[in-house]
Amino acid sequence: MNIVVAMKQIPDLQQVRIRNRQPVLDGVPMTFGSIDKNALETALQLKEAAGGNVIVISAGTEELEDTVKEALAAGADEAYLVLDDELENIESSVSAHLLAELIKQIENIGIILFGEGSGDNYSGQVGPRIAEILGLPEVGYVCDIELEDSRVKVTRSLEDCEEIVRVNLPAVLTIMADINEPRIPSVTQILKAGKKPKQILEVEDIGLDLKGDKKIITLSSLAPENKRKQITVKNGEELVDALLTEGVIRR
Amino acid sequence: MEFKLSKEQELIQKTAKEYAEKAIEPLVNQIEDENRVPDEVIEGLRELGLLCLPVEEKYGGAGAGFEGFVVGLEQLARVSGGVGIFVSVVMLGTSTIAVHGTEEQKEKYLTGTCKGSWIPSVAMTEPDGADPRMLKTTAKKDGDHFILNGTKRFITNTNFAGPMVVFAKDADTGRINGYIVDKFCEGYSISEPWDKLGSKGAFLSDVYLKDVKVPVSNMLGTPDEGFQTLKVTMAMGKIGLSAIYLGNILAAYDEAFNYSKDRIYLGKPISQFESVRNSIVDIAMKYEAAKLMTYRIGYLADNTANKAKLVKDSAMTKIFVTETAVDVSRIAMNVFGSYGLMKDYKMSRIYRDAIVGPQIEGTANLLKTVVATDMYK
Amino acid sequence: MAGIMIYSDKDELSFELLSAANLISGHTGLPINAVCINNSEQAQGLAARGAETYLINNEAINLADSKGMASALESAAIQLDANIILLSSNRRGKELSGRLAEKLAAGCLTDVGSIKVNRDKIECMRNSLGGAVLAAQMITSDYKIIAVESRVFEEMAVGKEGPINNLKIEAQPAELEVLEERAKVGDTANIESANILVAVGQGLKSENDMLIIKELAEALGAEIACSKPVATDKKWLPEERIIGLSGKKCKPDLAVILGISGQVQFTVGIRDARTIVAVNTDENALIMQMADYIMVADLHDLVPEMTRALLV
Repeated sequence: MNIVVAMKQIPDLQQVRIRNRQPVLDGVPMTFGSIDKNALETALQLKEAAGGNVIVISAGTEELEDTVKEALAAGADEAYLVLDDELENIESSVSAHLLAELIKQIENIGIILFGEGSGDNYSGQVGPRIAEILGLPEVGYVCDIELEDSRVKVTRSLEDCEEIVRVNLPAVLTIMADINEPRIPSVTQILKAGKKPKQILEVEDIGLDLKGDKKIITLSSLAPENKRKQITVKNGEELVDALLTEGVIRR
Repeated sequence: MEFKLSKEQELIQKTAKEYAEKAIEPLVNQIEDENRVPDEVIEGLRELGLLCLPVEEKYGGAGAGFEGFVVGLEQLARVSGGVGIFVSVVMLGTSTIAVHGTEEQKEKYLTGTCKGSWIPSVAMTEPDGADPRMLKTTAKKDGDHFILNGTKRFITNTNFAGPMVVFAKDADTGRINGYIVDKFCEGYSISEPWDKLGSKGAFLSDVYLKDVKVPVSNMLGTPDEGFQTLKVTMAMGKIGLSAIYLGNILAAYDEAFNYSKDRIYLGKPISQFESVRNSIVDIAMKYEAAKLMTYRIGYLADNTANKAKLVKDSAMTKIFVTETAVDVSRIAMNVFGSYGLMKDYKMSRIYRDAIVGPQIEGTANLLKTVVATDMYK
Repeated sequence: MAGIMIYSDKDELSFELLSAANLISGHTGLPINAVCINNSEQAQGLAARGAETYLINNEAINLADSKGMASALESAAIQLDANIILLSSNRRGKELSGRLAEKLAAGCLTDVGSIKVNRDKIECMRNSLGGAVLAAQMITSDYKIIAVESRVFEEMAVGKEGPINNLKIEAQPAELEVLEERAKVGDTANIESANILVAVGQGLKSENDMLIIKELAEALGAEIACSKPVATDKKWLPEERIIGLSGKKCKPDLAVILGISGQVQFTVGIRDARTIVAVNTDENALIMQMADYIMVADLHDLVPEMTRALLV
């Protein structure tokens, strides 16, 4: 059984600085989203329990060929990639179609894993979109997985309750960040990463028009401004009075 | 010329940093107080390949070369100087055996370290000093064994089982050679540990060898190669120390930079004072210079067939990096002011660690003599 | 083809969506249809709030099956001639929005924190780059799917009664089966939905001092939240209570922030609070710059004082 993990290349957010309300991305190295790493760890644990191959799929700029070594070093067996420098900041619908094409190249798929949201955008759309394209069942926000032959028993964590669901395979699952702690790749694995098999596709191979398929436009993207009253109070009583007057608390 | 880590090296850096922050950082005070690297840390380092970075894969090492070694060790030592020394000494033992050891010796001792539970040591220094001409430890041939006698001073990792490369003078020929002694064999004993000012954590003691029987097959290299072996060991030790104190500089840099942004004085962060900004720039420049020299010595170690030739460059790097570390710690301490003196602040430990660097593995004065001799020969 | 359709699995969120739909309808004149699936109580609630309500009763549609749910909503959108579909950005809503968007070849924005309508253009604000920036975005496809975060809009008030219509939707059997549903175990505090939050940080000296924080929270009717180190390093509170980039994003009416310096990793989770009170010993702490009420004090002195003042 092949376990597919979709991962998104994003700038290392801890290194992004804000200048004049604009994010500065120059020189910020690329990495994978942190929840994507939980999804990969889930795949590795499933493989350890039940065998199979872990295949990473991703679409991104040419740098991705290097970035994917992170996933291969962490233990993925293989990578299927779409590389193109035009693939920066593509919207969810485009990512979904590119990744779905990659998935179609892979045989004998059991589970397709996503993080519950990407590290930068966190919209959580691509997993459900791909499930729709491929006509597969999908369960989101999974915090526990149990394999059962041709099915899987998963726990979906909702805001107020947990739901235990049995679903037929193949299925798409999106993973919660707290399901596991991703392993630190060993140096031996890191040095083997470059030698693992990689399938690379071009956008043309997929026949998708990146420019023509825009469904979202971004009007502005700025760091938020902060306008606050900045009133200094002297003691607890004065503070409570001020809050009562403002109407945010009641005695 | 390429001044850029490969993706693999970046990932080694990340692995070392992550492990250090996750598994070592919470234990730093314990490591200091107990002056011992905990077993779980040693196992963690071994599993991740960080314990044996430059050892070849066929012996169970990571095969990351010395470039990988300096990049990884910098990150470990950034969090704990003691763990840095511990790992560096493992490298010293394995490298000494890797360069002049026989296939059998390598198979046994390198694999036993990388995959087993051994922790190697190297014993050169004696109570009188580290100059090979003053060595008093003797090896006397007796049939198919050598009998070793003597006292070694300031030896690291003596409390762990594993091989110890002991440099001793042949009682008959006067030649110096390295002999692999299995620690805790008959006649091996150690003193109470020394308690250093800083860079604490790796167990440091004296070693007493009393009629220790070493099979002839445990001599390193041929009898006339001994001096070369010694040179290799000297060079390797300095590569390790350079990476450790580069990590110390990085720690001081991180601490001072962050503190300058967080500490408010007279209504603004101290980073807005020109003098503090200049201090931070000085630290940044010194870090970059030390890093270039350290990474370069890693490159040279990977690309020099005769590692004995690294003595001069490794000595220059070690002098520069350790002296820079002292400089940087002083500048960083001035950014902190009184708070930096307090044990609650990492800066105090970084400062104590830095002071240690120039004094060990050959003082700066001694090493400059070595470099000068090479330059004027 | 034009119209607005709203759906949420949660009653109160659907009432909020009704307000959002009214905002859009107010500018565009588009009709609003509220859809409920197997939930007649919700249908009554929506109708009581004046919505043209459509109740789908078909037990074959399984709430847990995003595939079947998306199919049902697709059919509903077509039958009701709606092209703007508002969903709630809770977990179920987000799963559904991606899947439905793909069915309708629609652009989709989730986690929408505010909506502005400019003539017929609907601008949505959402966090991007891990919260470092706020992006204003607009959907250009014919079908538009917008998943709105909770508490962005007030629940629509009960008013003029709207009709409840039955809507017939065919359903395929689900490929999944719900074995069990259980309440969350352990600390189930939902700091995201609290009106008032008391957030503590590293200014708190010991775990024992949590007692005075609890007393204050009780007096305020607040939930207790914290900065990351209090939960992950000190473990004085569970991780569910972390505010910030790697924790929860909260927008309470009031946030009382005690002994937290105010790094961006924390403030991203609380900057949308309506009123912020910051208490810190350091008058120059970053948190002070984003507070409405500033008090330079040791929280250990201030907190009991404030509790007393509240209980007078």
